[in-house]
Amino acid sequence: MKRSSLFVLQLLFTLVVCAFMLVPVLMSLLAGLTRNFFVGLSSGLTFDWLAQVWQAYSPTVWLSLQLALACAVCVCVIGVPAAYALVRMNNRFSRAFEELMVLPVAMPGLASALALLLTYGQFGSFRSSWLFILVGHVLFTLPFLVRPVMAVMQRQQLPVLEEAAASLGAGPIKRFFSVVVPNCRAGILAGVLMVVTLSLGEFNLTWMLHTPMTKTLPVGLADSYASARLEIASAYTLIFLLMIVPLLIALQAISARLSRGERR
Amino acid sequence: MAASARHAAWALAPAFAVLLAFWLLPLAHLMVLGAESRDSHGSGYWQVLSSAQYLGSLGQTLLLAVVVTLVALLIGGISGVFLARQQFFGRSALVALLTFPLAFPGVVVGFLVILLAGRQGLLASLGLQLAGERWIFAYSLAGLFVGYLYFSIPRVILTVMAACESLDRSLEEAAHSLGAGHWRVVCDVIVPGLAPALASCGAICFATSMGAFGTAFTLGTRLNVTPVAIYNVFTNYANFAVAAALSVVLGAVTWAVLLLTRRLVKNSGTVL
Amino acid sequence: MRAFRKTLAAVLLCGVASLAQAAETAICYNCPPDWADWATQLKAIAASTGVQVPLDNKNSGQSLAQLVAEKAAPVADVVYYGVTFGLQAQKAEVVGTYKPKAWEQIPAGLKDPAGHWFAIHSGTLGIMVNVDALGGLPVPQSWADLLKPEYKGMVGYLDPSSAFVGYVSAVAINRAMGGDLDNFAPAIDYFQKLAKNAPIVPKQTAYARVLSGELPILVDYDFNAYRARYKDKANVAFVIPQEGSISVPYVMSLVANAPHRANAEKVLDFVLSDEGQALWAKAYLRPVRPMKMPAEVAAQFLPDSDYARAGVVDYEKMAAVQEAFAARYLNEVK
Repeated sequence: MKRSSLFVLQLLFTLVVCAFMLVPVLMSLLAGLTRNFFVGLSSGLTFDWLAQVWQAYSPTVWLSLQLALACAVCVCVIGVPAAYALVRMNNRFSRAFEELMVLPVAMPGLASALALLLTYGQFGSFRSSWLFILVGHVLFTLPFLVRPVMAVMQRQQLPVLEEAAASLGAGPIKRFFSVVVPNCRAGILAGVLMVVTLSLGEFNLTWMLHTPMTKTLPVGLADSYASARLEIASAYTLIFLLMIVPLLIALQAISARLSRGERR
Repeated sequence: MAASARHAAWALAPAFAVLLAFWLLPLAHLMVLGAESRDSHGSGYWQVLSSAQYLGSLGQTLLLAVVVTLVALLIGGISGVFLARQQFFGRSALVALLTFPLAFPGVVVGFLVILLAGRQGLLASLGLQLAGERWIFAYSLAGLFVGYLYFSIPRVILTVMAACESLDRSLEEAAHSLGAGHWRVVCDVIVPGLAPALASCGAICFATSMGAFGTAFTLGTRLNVTPVAIYNVFTNYANFAVAAALSVVLGAVTWAVLLLTRRLVKNSGTVL
Repeated sequence: MRAFRKTLAAVLLCGVASLAQAAETAICYNCPPDWADWATQLKAIAASTGVQVPLDNKNSGQSLAQLVAEKAAPVADVVYYGVTFGLQAQKAEVVGTYKPKAWEQIPAGLKDPAGHWFAIHSGTLGIMVNVDALGGLPVPQSWADLLKPEYKGMVGYLDPSSAFVGYVSAVAINRAMGGDLDNFAPAIDYFQKLAKNAPIVPKQTAYARVLSGELPILVDYDFNAYRARYKDKANVAFVIPQEGSISVPYVMSLVANAPHRANAEKVLDFVLSDEGQALWAKAYLRPVRPMKMPAEVAAQFLPDSDYARAGVVDYEKMAAVQEAFAARYLNEVK
């Protein structure tokens, strides 16, 4: 009896939390399809706003996708080896490095962007290209890959596996690619999921780093919320949702399948 | 073992190089900038540390970030554990939908709070129906708090769900079979099992809340959190010295709190 | 898996790397599509001069800050901002000099003699009201009306320490209440009284919020109110308060060491040309060059007798005291 009432309470609590997260989003999406938000649903539904937004802002969608994927690749390339190193070293230096890694998250994006601009702004073609924004994204999302991967690496008892591989004659690099990485696929994918999500939504850094020629979706979204009608901004949010949710579901499903496979 | 640890250190090189070139160097630049003085007002640092306004704003930001983190951990912890243990159709989709808010820029979160709790918001209409007056709290501290919670809870839920996968159910069953009530099992088995994940996630939530700008900017509350103060100084008079000094001080305070928390939660070398 | 990701990334990189236009471009900071109908202006510029100018949504302050941050290698070619920011930009040495074709027709006092900045149009500050969202209450007609308790929670003004419009509001209210640029006490006093009426104080333009009814009363420019009324067909009224108000010019500058200087000059020439100025008039701004407003547009403005209540101030002084006032506002208005 007590078990089931607790279950019901937990269920209700979780439902309330989900509602809190999702209801404003649903309201926003509905506003994007409504002819006039102030009047409400009675003014009718329309795709006009969506068409307007797509016409004006479609380059931002492609640029954001490109940035997110490039960011995921870069962060994997530098982050997975870093996670491995941090787990193996596990000394004062590695802990200091972990602190260092989190700092770009702790400092407001405005400040990091200003710092980057002041230091590298004079390289004109680099500054005006999307690579400048990529740098900011990589700095910001690095800890979000490294931490989950570190957690997974710790669980997988890698030293044992690595010793076995070493005793069979595998060198360090071969061990890394054929023992360490495959065993952490679930963690890496979970981290990539987070990195892609954060990069698609990164605003604070991108705001200062972008130029009118390299505008990303969150910057465009924030602009439209500020200066255009609520219906346009909401339609833009709808496009954002359509772009990101299938991506997230796919990554989630792959990661779930991989982690199920790992728990043989 | 020592040799392989040294070998492993090489794997850190690319990440370290990137951080050095694109973070440490610019940060040094910023720190130097903060020491500059403009119009004989004293250096940026001096202006920041001697101003009750800036220090007050820093204190408020710190308090807000701490409370948001603790509440998010609580709410996200409960829901996360629950979601992790139930299998139902559409769970993947639900989790993806819960992750989606993480991608929102802070500005959009601010507007969502207005949709929920502003003058034309859901709660205002509800209040009109139920009590005859609009329930508006979007533009007060409560609105800001709700906004910060909005982008912190999904983070916690995701982390907790992932960590639950590795919880040892047999420990809980053993505790139950020994006669422990549900609450005792939660306090003595589940929470300690989740503690490293919760601590790590809490650190990130705290850091994000300290540096969050978009939500406060949109909601325009009277509470001027430090990132908004940085924006103000930066965009109104291009006063880079004070902006840089404020940023460095904010970063330093955040880092100090994270360091302190790490000391307090010092576990058996598990990842924090 | 990683190989797949890598190839996907490479393909995307190649595909989108060629986004760089071969067309003539000029970068403008602060040319938002809906503000002053820059969207139409930029299309006209492209059609007439062949120069493509992408839209940009920064505000005056952000533009100036970005220009200063990018001083070593500017990205922008031209910038549009409020007059006090033009003066600051000149002081910060981020703008170059250029005298466009219709230079002599700009009144003195609305341009820098050397050509660092020049006004292209001006707007008048007042009260923008979403009449439907008032719920039956009368439209406020004066600054004093905004203090009335029946408007509690309905009044908004932009943050004077954060937005140019906000600072203009403060200066306008100050002047209307009997103060001047040396004495901001009336404005501070007014804002303190207004604070008791639960105002909403956004840090950026809140046009959308007025239309959606979230913010029924906003202190804003006449051209935004007319746009809401006549272009977006909302039931919005504009009031120039009884106690008085001010009008301010918006200016443009050529950025120092602009990457595309020739294109920038074409853009600046166009916004002051007959065609450009007529477009500003159609967007409900007062063109800086003396010219006749089209009759149908003039009919949509409030009568001149109302506009007689709006004066001007010394913009240089206004720029000089901006920072001090902002600090005072933050300290005293809680």
